[in-house]
Amino acid sequence: MTEKNRTTLDRREFLATSTAATGAFVLGFWLPPNARAAVPHGASWYEDPANREINAWIVIDPDDTVTIRIAQTELGQGVWTSNAMMVCEELACDWDTVKLEYASANRDFREAAPEWTLPVPGEGAYDRDGGGAPEFRDRSYVNGIPDSLYRRMRTNAAASVRDGRYYLQLAGAEARERLLLAAASELSVPVNELAVKDGVITHAASGRTLSYGQVAARAAETPHPNPEAINIKPPSEWTLMGTEQHNRDVPMKVTGETMYGIDVRLPGMKWAAVRSCPVYGGDIQSFDFDAVRERPGVVSAHQLPIPNPELIRGRVFGGGVAIVADHWHQAKAAIDAMPIEWDIPAHLANRNTAGMHTELVAALDAPGTVRVDEGDVDAVLAKADRVIEATYSTPYLPRARMEPGNATVLVTDERVDIWIGDQSPQETRHSAAVITGIPEENVYVHLCHLGGGYGRNGNGPQAEHAITIANENRGTPIHMLWSREEDFVGTTYRAMGVARLRAALDDDGWPLAIDVRTAMQGDGFGPTSSFNNVARYHAPNYRFSNHTTDFHVPVGTRRGIGQAAHEFYRESFIDELAHAAGKDPYLYRRELVARSNLPHKDDLVRALDLAAEMSDWGTPLPEGLARAIALEERGADVEGTVTISAVVHTVSITRDGRVKLERVDMAHDKGFGLVNPLSVKKQLEGQIVWFYNDAMLQKNTVADGRIVENNYDRFPVARIHESPPEINIQFFETNHWLKGLGHDRATSVQSAIGDAIFQITGKRYRDLPFGQHDLSWG
Amino acid sequence: MALDLTINGAAHSVDADPETPLLWVIRDYVGLTGTKFSCGMAQCGACTVHVDGQPVRSCTFPASAAVGKAITTIEGVSDDGSHPVQVAWKELDAPQCGYCQSGMIMATLALLERTPEPTDADIDAAVTNICRCGTYHRIRAAIHRAAQLIKAEA
Ligand code: FES
Ligand code: FES
Repeated sequence: MTEKNRTTLDRREFLATSTAATGAFVLGFWLPPNARAAVPHGASWYEDPANREINAWIVIDPDDTVTIRIAQTELGQGVWTSNAMMVCEELACDWDTVKLEYASANRDFREAAPEWTLPVPGEGAYDRDGGGAPEFRDRSYVNGIPDSLYRRMRTNAAASVRDGRYYLQLAGAEARERLLLAAASELSVPVNELAVKDGVITHAASGRTLSYGQVAARAAETPHPNPEAINIKPPSEWTLMGTEQHNRDVPMKVTGETMYGIDVRLPGMKWAAVRSCPVYGGDIQSFDFDAVRERPGVVSAHQLPIPNPELIRGRVFGGGVAIVADHWHQAKAAIDAMPIEWDIPAHLANRNTAGMHTELVAALDAPGTVRVDEGDVDAVLAKADRVIEATYSTPYLPRARMEPGNATVLVTDERVDIWIGDQSPQETRHSAAVITGIPEENVYVHLCHLGGGYGRNGNGPQAEHAITIANENRGTPIHMLWSREEDFVGTTYRAMGVARLRAALDDDGWPLAIDVRTAMQGDGFGPTSSFNNVARYHAPNYRFSNHTTDFHVPVGTRRGIGQAAHEFYRESFIDELAHAAGKDPYLYRRELVARSNLPHKDDLVRALDLAAEMSDWGTPLPEGLARAIALEERGADVEGTVTISAVVHTVSITRDGRVKLERVDMAHDKGFGLVNPLSVKKQLEGQIVWFYNDAMLQKNTVADGRIVENNYDRFPVARIHESPPEINIQFFETNHWLKGLGHDRATSVQSAIGDAIFQITGKRYRDLPFGQHDLSWG
Repeated sequence: MALDLTINGAAHSVDADPETPLLWVIRDYVGLTGTKFSCGMAQCGACTVHVDGQPVRSCTFPASAAVGKAITTIEGVSDDGSHPVQVAWKELDAPQCGYCQSGMIMATLALLERTPEPTDADIDAAVTNICRCGTYHRIRAAIHRAAQLIKAEA
């Protein structure tokens, strides 16, 4: 292993692992000299005496090496860099030489958060100088511990900056102040006579300097006398935060050195391939291991029970079977060849998309849960001269990350070690304890980079499968890897949904009443979440209701929790109303937002204006091209954090029906400040492609109870020729902290392509993806 | 049966079934993990390596067919990430999760060998790999930049 790869793994955990494992087991990872002798057996946590931990986020070695620990998972969103920037900004060390490593999820279980990380500085979402308005402050649903060391190790809800910024800045500031105190005592000068830059402390009066490495040992022993008084820098004082920084792991990603979960190799490791019942809720009836046990490399077979839904937030997957072999391709070939009989509940065996769609549409007319009811929608609709009605639908969609589900697990009688790319290491730790019976304090989750994330619980039971197999092979490291096809079985999906929107228009074309009904399955995300977002456009009478069905496909996060589908419904319908009213869709939106009483309406209007201006809105386009505009927002209906964007898409369609996104002009909220604007741009660019996929290409259907499309042949992903040649992004400053932007940005691609199709071809399609339709014209 | 393979200039004798896909020989027998597995059916290009200079999707390429040929993986592109394509990738900060990027770089290298100054259409035709993170905008820019860097070096 190369030097660089050390940073992707927590070396202290490997030390601990190496001592606790039985016999001559030696991990194939980097070990410092004399590590074994230095580690006390059974120590709850090992602190290398040569290294000086200042606090749980920061280690400074005598040679001035600063290591920052990252407690979220890098999955391409840039958290590895942005979390470190927030610490480094306050620590005042040299950014270019900072090293990074993952924080220990095991230690997180054993230790409570320092008191000084608990209070959030400032007055909330509108306080520029404060810590913002974090949303996820506890993890009580895991096991009741309110404030573990690293708080939220989850990587979800586009929240790493929103929720982590204040305590990461505090962590850097706490360490800096203690390093300065240590230097003051070393030099016998008052601390306020010291200045620090790039990890070098200077006493100007005497000209003496000390490096962080020189005072780290003393600082580690120096408590902060008054941690409640630590302040964090406001955006006006940022020097590193707010600048475009290349992602720190990119150099490893161009050489192939990055350690993903799939790349973990341990001595004596065996591989497992899995086959789960393709119908969720189904189980194994029988399998004939004797038919394949003599195949090369094959070691054993293991029945996998239906994963305990309590460990995976209530989702019901199928039971299955695993084969363990010397190499994965051997295990995979054996499981492909092994006769398996499934026990599939009769009521699921004939489920199919058409029938489910019919049920959803029927649910729209059944009683639902009314979430908003203002005025008298029914009365206004009943007597209106002009009623516009449209029904939209969106399919099941998975995340389809490129790295298939995997985890490497070693269970001994004392402890569990798990190497995994995981968006919820705290929950995985809990799963391991429940499955193995080994106390959670002895579970070590070694985080790896993820080959795509896009949704915390979309991983399904990858960890649970691996832990179950490894638990039956104690002492042998098991690397469980799903095939691509298994990954489509093991993931959760965004629910398929339908929405019927009706509006009564006045003589001028403005809505008098809007009725919104949405239907999707009642479990998981969707019905109860924040989808009351059609109200962004004002109507004096407004009603929003959810209607639910009971489907068996497990539903979970997918680059958001379903808001993207709802923004497709909302923005498509507003376009239809604008056309019906004979009004410009940009000005129509603008007016309806201005009429609303949304707390963030001024910013919504600014976004629309800027996007229109950027795109030369209103200037003529050649035949076969069209522009469409849409709003995207997260939280615009309530006081507090919000993220707002408005986007104009310029779309071309050839006469034979080939669609291309030619140009994207995006006006994006920057709140009080972006931590790493380069990462933000990359997230936005990526989501343009993501929602092009949703708009044009992707859907999962169900036949005989099972997901049909299970590899990239039938589940297409856009390639480079489908990426828009021109992307313009402008940020505009607003008076709030952002809600986050790792998901639900660029959702507008969907409605915009739909409206461009209408403008160019005269056809109005309301079911995604549009690519399933004949889009030819002329 | 032993398969004698030359990977990044080094000889490897691998005890594997001749039909084993080259991908698994590279990743699991030889231990070079920079080449990635994603679809296993020649759809995504994450497993792209060069065999005698030609880009192949190694997940469906039998290892036996590479015997006696020069195999190049991402690890063989440079010792230290200094190849102009890698440099351009870093300048543009192209990768997100990075999982597809080894394959993207290998496809790009093959393109630039044949077509040192590719047009956008050349790129569209040659770099048909999947990136689920949607990094195409930066990849296209990085390919053009790499072409410039190579030209400047020449
Ligand atoms: S893994 Fe070989 S092309 Fe996808
Ligand atoms: S960078 Fe994530 S798949 Fe391409």
